[in-house]
Formats: sequence, C-alpha cells, structure tokens
Amino acid sequence: MSLIEIRDLHKQFKGNVVLDGIDLAIEQGNVIGIIGPSGTGKSTLLRCLNQLEIPEKGFLKLQDKEIDLSSRKNKKEILELRQNTGMVFQQFNLFERKTALENVEEGLLVVQKKSKEEAREIALEELRRVGMTAWANHYPRHLSGGQQQRVAIARALAMRPKLLLFDEPTSALDPEMVGEVLDVIRQIAAEGYTMLLVSHEMAFVRNVSNRVIFIDKGVIVEDGTPGQVFHYPQNDRTKEFLAKMHMLEMEPEYSI
Amino acid sequence: MTKLFDFKQVFTNIPELMEYLPITLELALLAMLIGLVLGLLLAIIKIKEIPVLKQLAAFFVSIIRGTPVLVQLYIVYFGVPMFCKYLNQRFGTSLAVASIPGFAYAVLALGLNSSAFSAEMIRSALMSVGKGQLEAANALGMTYGQALRRIIIPEAMTVALPTIGNSLISSIKGTSLAFTCAVVELTAQGKIIGGRNYRYFEVYCSLAIIYWLVTIVIEQILKIVERKLAIPEQVENFAEQQDEAQMGDGI
Ligand SMILES: Nc1ncnc2c1ncn2[C@@H]1O[C@H](COP(=O)(O)OP(=O)(O)OP(=O)(O)O)[C@@H](O)[C@H]1O
Ligand SMILES: [Mg+2]
Repeated sequence: MSLIEIRDLHKQFKGNVVLDGIDLAIEQGNVIGIIGPSGTGKSTLLRCLNQLEIPEKGFLKLQDKEIDLSSRKNKKEILELRQNTGMVFQQFNLFERKTALENVEEGLLVVQKKSKEEAREIALEELRRVGMTAWANHYPRHLSGGQQQRVAIARALAMRPKLLLFDEPTSALDPEMVGEVLDVIRQIAAEGYTMLLVSHEMAFVRNVSNRVIFIDKGVIVEDGTPGQVFHYPQNDRTKEFLAKMHMLEMEPEYSI
Repeated sequence: MTKLFDFKQVFTNIPELMEYLPITLELALLAMLIGLVLGLLLAIIKIKEIPVLKQLAAFFVSIIRGTPVLVQLYIVYFGVPMFCKYLNQRFGTSLAVASIPGFAYAVLALGLNSSAFSAEMIRSALMSVGKGQLEAANALGMTYGQALRRIIIPEAMTVALPTIGNSLISSIKGTSLAFTCAVVELTAQGKIIGGRNYRYFEVYCSLAIIYWLVTIVIEQILKIVERKLAIPEQVENFAEQQDEAQMGDGI
C-alpha cells in the first residue's frame, strides 16, 4: 500500500485552472522530483498537500484515512495533515526574531508540546545533521541564504514528518550557496526520507530522485524513473521541455 | 499690589499636584491597555475579513475618529447609566448604576477612543511581518492563534513600539479630560488649586511642566525597551559542551 495517495486534485485561482486532476501515489522512500514549465502548478500542488491552499476538489489518503482536501471546515484534520508533512520554502521563511535553535525548537514546543530539554536535544541533533550547530545562537539575519535554508530544512526535519515537501529550495540562493543546500538534501534523501522535490536544477533532480514526474498545464503527463523520464520521455511536451532545458543530450551521470 | 506672575508658585504647586499623578498614569495605562487589546481585535477582524464584524468594526472606527474625545467621554458617562437603567426596566435586572465609579467610565471611553486609533497601526504592524513566516508556522501545524502569539505579535511589537509609545503619550494627554466623568486627576486637581488661590496661570504652568516631564520619561523608557528588543548585532558561535569535535563539522 502506498504511503500517501492523492486523488483527483483540482485547484483554480479565479477561473484560472492550475491543477486539473492530479492523481499520485507516493510510496515510502520515494524521492519524487517534480519538474515542469513555470506556472504549471508545481508549487500549488505542494501547497494543496499541506493545505496552505485549499483546492476545490481533492482527496488525500494517509494511513487508511481519507482526508477531503477541499473541506475548509475540519481544522483538526488540517493540523494533523500539516504535522505529517514538512515544508521547505523557496524563501526559507525562518522566524526572524528567533535564533536558529529556537526556529527548530518552535514546532516541537508549540505543536508537539515537547519539554524544553527534549526540544533542545532534537533541535541540536537536526542542526548538526545540516551542519549548522555552530550557528545555533545566530538569528536569521546573521546567516547567509544557504545557511538559512539549511536551518529551515532542520526545522522541517525536527517534526519527523512522513512526507517532506521542497519547493525550489535553491532558487533564491546565490550560485555559490546552491551546492551546500543540495548536499544536505542529497544526504537526507539517502537516509530514506519520503519527499517531493520541485526544482529547476535538472541535473540534481535526475541525480537525487528515484522517481520523476513532469507536470504540464495542471496534469501529470510523465511519471517514471529519472532514466525513463530524462532519456526516453514518452510525451511530446516532456521532450520539448527537456530539450529547452538542454537535458536530452546530456550524458547520464552515475554519481549518487 | 500683588505680583502679576508668581514664579515661585509654579513650583510650590508641584508637590500637591504630584499626588494625583498616579491616577493620571493609571487612567492612561488602563485606557491604553484596553485600546491595544480592542485595537488588536479590530485589526484581526479587518485582516481576516470576517463578514458583518468587519462592517461593524469599520463603523465603530469611523464614529470614534469622527467625534471629539470630550463628546465621547460625555456620551459614555451619561449613556452607560441610561443603558443600564433601560436594561433594569426591561429585563428586571438590578445593575447598580450608581455604584460605578467615574474612573471606570473614563477608562472605558478613553480605551474605546484609543482602540480606534491604534487599530490601524496594529493592523499595519501585523501586516509588516512577512506572509512567509505565517505560512512557515502554519506548515509546522501551528494554529493562527499560536502563530499570532509566538511569531507575528512579537515581531509586530518591535515595528509598532514607537506608535505604542505615541498612543500612551496621547492617552496621558487624553486623561486631562477625565474630569467630565468626575475623576479628580492631575488637571482636575490643578483646577481646584487654581480656584482656591486664583493663580490659574501658575497652576497651568505647573501642569505643563509635569506632563512634559512624564512624556520625556516615557520616551526614555521606550528607548530602553527598544534596545532590549533589538536583535543583537553579533552573537558568539554556539559551543557544545560534550562533543567539541562535532562542532561546525559540515557535510
Ligand atoms: N494566490 C494566487 N492567486 C492567483 N493565482 C495564483 C496564485 N498562486 C498561484 N497562482 C497562479 O497559478 C499558476 C501556477 O502557479 P504555481 O506557483 O503553482 O506554478 P509553478 O509551477 O510553481 O511555477 P514556477 O516554476 O514559476 O514556480 C500561475 O499561473 C500563478 O500565476
Ligand atoms: Mg513554484
């Protein structure tokens, strides 16, 4: 059985159809790279999954429990879903008035009601995982973009989510900082976390994912292993997109 | 012939007036507190665009902004007892109108007044906190209330601090009208002294000095608080006691 099943997800913004029937079964340990042209609804898909956007229609099945994503009423289910998903944003979105350590502790204390000691222990452990221990006392404004994003990843990991959502985690970074963040993501992917990763870093997606989906005009038009999608795309739109991204000619990389 | 201006009197008035400073400060602080809490409520109603309440809030703010404080004080002072009497007649309740002190009316009226003026600044302070932080809090599973309390208000506070200070200062000035509700505070006592010795000009000079000094003290306190709330320019690296070896060990 799949870890999470998304069924019939539809979302529009004032008549502008963005998601037009997404069905996706996510297996435990899937690292799903989501690619597609700008404006096709990749971010919207992630945001619907943790209910930052409320779709008109759509269901999500998690551990035998079916949740109606379109229902605005069930606050408890929304909170539960959010606790099962961790989100890493393009703009990091760290809490400005909290130190790196406090940022990671926050959800543990407020949402999971853990004790101060336990929260601190987990937070330090996660900061160490992303190589930010030395910066625990620093505030976001003291940190570079790459460092902030690593703290944001630690913050998401600390909640022990079943599913991690990355929305273009390196797009807001200066080129020299992209590597450190990708390294962290690569490492946690290797640890077996289940994750959805939206990224324009094609080489990285191909390299780190074990499954790739291509979304165009609000539907999944291609779904397969990185090898299948990047080298033998079935759909013309996928071919066109990959050609534009200069990915079709590239030699496969075997450097995981 | 008596002196035209009794310079000494300006200062000899001050000790007697100072006895009433606590009442003035109490009035101002309580009014400001009501103003901030109610202002926060109005701001949230506006931000969350809650139907019906939103229109009511806009109506309330418009009335308060469109009428003088003095008139508002009189309306509360006469209106609330009338309303209580109406309730008593209509529903047979026994609200003890006469036992409500004038102080309560003054606090209520000044608080309502200050809420209408702080609502807008509270709203813009809350809005100044990036939407991203709210989304991050939501994504962690925090409720809007938790995000407000833990993330948004603490940051909005620092943005709003100067305005909160201004509202306290104007609240203090507003208390000088509390005599309308039969409250004897600084200004009212000044009038009493003036009536006793006919040295009105001198006593108003004394009052001016006191209000001015109070304002200066508040401004200084504010500066200290602001410095306390500021995020430090530099902090030291975190050093773990147990395993120094792990420290800063990147990936
Ligand atoms: N809050 C919103 N209100 C109105 N339209 C929106 C909103 N959010 C997104 N959209 C629209 O929905 C469409 C899909 O947006 P989305 O951000 O999901 O695309 P994307 O695939 O993530 O694109 P990109 O690669 O540029 O990030 C876009 O046309 C966008 O303009
Ligand atoms: Mg996007």
